[in-house]
Amino acid sequence: MVLLAAISLSSYILTANPKGEIAVSSIQVFPGNARRYSNKDQDFAFVHFNATADLSPLFNWNTKQLFLWVSAEYENKRGVKNEVVIWDRIVRRKEDARLSILGRNKYAFRELSASFKGAAPAHYTLKYNVMPYVGVLTYGEAARTTDSVPFPDRQELS
Amino acid sequence: MFADELKTLRRLGVRHVLLQILNFVSVLASGLMIWKGLGLITNTESPIVVVLSGSMEPAFYRGDLLFLTNPSDARYQTGDITVYKIPGADIPIVHRVLETHDYPPNNKGAVAASPLVQRQLLLTKGDNNAIDDIELYQGLEWLERKHIVGKVRGFLPYVGYVTIAMNDFPQLKYALLGGLGLLALIQRE
Repeated sequence: MVLLAAISLSSYILTANPKGEIAVSSIQVFPGNARRYSNKDQDFAFVHFNATADLSPLFNWNTKQLFLWVSAEYENKRGVKNEVVIWDRIVRRKEDARLSILGRNKYAFRELSASFKGAAPAHYTLKYNVMPYVGVLTYGEAARTTDSVPFPDRQELS
Repeated sequence: MFADELKTLRRLGVRHVLLQILNFVSVLASGLMIWKGLGLITNTESPIVVVLSGSMEPAFYRGDLLFLTNPSDARYQTGDITVYKIPGADIPIVHRVLETHDYPPNNKGAVAASPLVQRQLLLTKGDNNAIDDIELYQGLEWLERKHIVGKVRGFLPYVGYVTIAMNDFPQLKYALLGGLGLLALIQRE
């Protein structure tokens, strides 16, 4: 009991704040069909990004795994603030925590109003969640795009 | 078999038995008070939950214990692990937030009393599931704040397996309760 408490408290002392970089290499918007309403016309954004970060300092004796994700943050035409996860990864070993990712979105990137037209440029961030063997879950941001990335016009599928 | 115990019971008299019952009941009552008190502090209906499925593996396994808070002034963000309960479904689900959509406050002369008032749409997904949870929402398009029981803040492995075992083998539950009750009655100060 005491040992468990000591271990969980130690994660307050053993903290790290690693930083990395993320950049969006390309972004395209295509029309498609939503999963639920198959006849609803819906924009999908396709994002390619590069991310590098050394998150190995986050691994201490009480780190079970890291949950990493890339999310897009933007405001749409009607002022709704959106945060959408486009990619994620679970890292379970310290050796895998040195990241160099050439990635593209894993999950469908859609807009609430079905169209990205008029949406403000988006920031893309790489965030992490440290999940312990016992104790508190901690969160952090490892990287953020330096400039916001505008959404391109929709391309029609030929 | 219980001759000895019965003898001691008879010797101790009705008054003592009643006292022991009172003791037992007060233990139960303080347990309930602690639970409800925790619920008040953390602002959630169940501050401690047991993981029942494998949809968040390898982070959470069946039987792990999760500690929740649900601060009324905090909005949810992507990556937060929420526990939510869809109306009509009796089992709460522990999944991670995949999308958040915050509606702006409607500036019609009214000031929002708390961020809770502002509408926030959420979409969740289990770490171990391939796709998001829309199918689990039973017809809802998005999760809203009112469906959320709390946000996972702390983690304790395995301990909750006791409750799963008790649900799977009800005899165990009765045996445990009976044993505790008997102990409370018989033990001498």
